[in-house]
Amino acid sequence: MSRYLDPAESSKPYKDPTPLPADIPKVKELGVSSAPLKSAAFFLGAFCKDYNEDFMLCKAENRDPAHCLKEGRRVTRCAQELITKLRENCLSEFEKHWNCLENNNQEYYHCRKDERVLNKCVFEKLGLVKTIPGTPEGKTPIHEVKNPVYTGVQK
Amino acid sequence: MPPPGGFEPVKYKRNLPLRGPSGLVILGGVTAVCAYGFYRVGKGNLEKRELQREKVWSRIHLVPLLLAEGDRDAYRRQQAALEREREIMKDVPGWEAGKSVYNNPSHRSAETIVVI
Repeated sequence: MSRYLDPAESSKPYKDPTPLPADIPKVKELGVSSAPLKSAAFFLGAFCKDYNEDFMLCKAENRDPAHCLKEGRRVTRCAQELITKLRENCLSEFEKHWNCLENNNQEYYHCRKDERVLNKCVFEKLGLVKTIPGTPEGKTPIHEVKNPVYTGVQK
Repeated sequence: MPPPGGFEPVKYKRNLPLRGPSGLVILGGVTAVCAYGFYRVGKGNLEKRELQREKVWSRIHLVPLLLAEGDRDAYRRQQAALEREREIMKDVPGWEAGKSVYNNPSHRSAETIVVI
């Protein structure tokens, strides 16, 4: 029994109904699928920067899942707060953008039109700006280029 | 004897219809089209790099969130497995449940998982 058993290859479902120990505070999982997460990723990075960095520093200390539970809960709570705020303030723009991502292989460059509307709304309502770290100095960030080479096949 | 008014002039000029643009024009046109194409390819390559950067950073921003969620699940399963081990090995004296076989304090994820 020293072989790693992949849960995906198991004939039985990889389930463990045992709940978390009672001394661990409960936190509701985010439960957001990949397209909305991708749509909100840069705002998440801006909004929850401190919590995220704290968590990653903690993980750098020790990879044990038990070590960073507290920081992890903070990260999840912060993400929840952001998603709630997004849905309260920019619901239609957000849904339009992530639906576009969903229909376009989750590539940002297919959905610039919806993205600009969302970015504008989020900046006005929440004050969050999408910045891509590492963009060369003096160049327009890729999400603000007016006439890019790579666009969707059908505009 | 020549006819009155003299002979009509000899037709020595070539009378060929226009056969389209000259070779130089076509060559120049092809060069221009190719040059523009390569310019676009170059711009596209620069753009692709930035698109890749954007994609990577969108994933980096999501890492803590997904890792935190996965950690909670891993911890829950770990504790359940420990509890099971304690229950199974309760009759063996000196058995420490969940003790690593390695003398290394750094974390190792479990080599085996139990599918109930």
